[in-house]
Amino acid sequence: MLPSFRLARPQNLTDALAAIGEEKVPYCGGTELLLAMRAGLTRPETLVDIKRVPELSGVEVRDGAVVIGAVERHMDLAVNSIVREHLPMLARVEGAVGNARVRAQGSIGGNLCFAEPKSDVATALVAYGAEATIAGPGGQRSVPVEEFVAGPYWADKEPEELLVDIRVPVPAAGTRAVYLKYQIIERPTVGVALLHDAGAGKCRLVVGAVGEVQTLFTFSDPAEIDPAAVAEELDPTPDLSGSERYKRHVAGVFIGRAVRAMAEAA
Amino acid sequence: MSVTESAIVEISLTVNGIPVERTVTPRTLLVDFLREDLGLTGTKVSCELQVCGVCTVLVNDRPVSACTFLAVDADGTRVRTVEGLAENGAPNKLQEAFISHHALQCGFCTPGFLMMATALLESGEDVEREDIVEHLEGNICRCTGYQPIIDAVEEVAASLPPCMARRNGHAATREAGGQ
Repeated sequence: MLPSFRLARPQNLTDALAAIGEEKVPYCGGTELLLAMRAGLTRPETLVDIKRVPELSGVEVRDGAVVIGAVERHMDLAVNSIVREHLPMLARVEGAVGNARVRAQGSIGGNLCFAEPKSDVATALVAYGAEATIAGPGGQRSVPVEEFVAGPYWADKEPEELLVDIRVPVPAAGTRAVYLKYQIIERPTVGVALLHDAGAGKCRLVVGAVGEVQTLFTFSDPAEIDPAAVAEELDPTPDLSGSERYKRHVAGVFIGRAVRAMAEAA
Repeated sequence: MSVTESAIVEISLTVNGIPVERTVTPRTLLVDFLREDLGLTGTKVSCELQVCGVCTVLVNDRPVSACTFLAVDADGTRVRTVEGLAENGAPNKLQEAFISHHALQCGFCTPGFLMMATALLESGEDVEREDIVEHLEGNICRCTGYQPIIDAVEEVAASLPPCMARRNGHAATREAGGQ
């Protein structure tokens, strides 16, 4: 049984921004929020259901970026034709988040706003160099996803702000990306995203799930990556999925596999 | 500009094809609405964390955890539960396969497995064994060791005509307006 609350259903972004606040929290799929409420971690007086706000949904290419509305569900993004065409690695990640029920209910925006340290989606988006668009009383601002997901369960967003969309720069032709994860329970032990834009000589390696936040490493070519050296620089949190030493080892193994998989990546 | 905040909400939906109209509080969970308001106790509750899958029902053909789904969000939808699977009062093909493969022992997880499997069987282009394993990995069974369940679903998948093609999520997405 959940604690009682009121429900607001704004129909546009202006009304949604007017409706949210310290005790009035945005609500979309509920896959994180309802669990936190049931556990007594938060007790909002009002849930502001943002699923009917058109400005927060849809996927389109605009100004050289794939713009993904915050309320888009994982399951829809996994099969979205724009995402599959431009961001095939993200499409595969979205198709393997949690389980099929979580993918049917949970949204990409909710995933980032809860800043779950084991989020596959955040790890993938940081590799793509994605930015989060945030709207508030003073207008809109944009921040890189690695800054938005500032800490464990802590997104850089004020209570009167809303995540509107995620903008992923359309990768240059010939860019390749892979995501590998190791998972034995509900959440991954380690997730490794690797993106290589050979034309620009840019390579982004992101290691997620092992520590409190995703860690980004940049190179000019995957051949420069020394998996053991990268693993040494991580700060793993010991938890149910393993000790610090174990997680460091598994991360090193998966970084090595990602580098090798890059050769065959689409 | 202000947005109305409601402490009570009217919902209108169909459950297993039957129109239902009720008034609920926003905190009412779909599973409690089904079990307590409608008396449909086939849907079970266990972990309440979206991990075990026993509370799985279909909302507009998509599998959801009814333990973590507000009844108000079912407004205007088509909800299907295990009670809706039987055809003309007899077990359907999938239920028959569960029986013949001994895919249940205590039966507590069975409604969830049946609904999860139904979502896959209705949506898959070609459902291979590995698709079944992947799709059902979010459901827990403590009796069978899973193999009989996978065997049962595989048997039904193999008997489907080719091109019942609706990829996971596609069908529901099209209905919702193709976002």
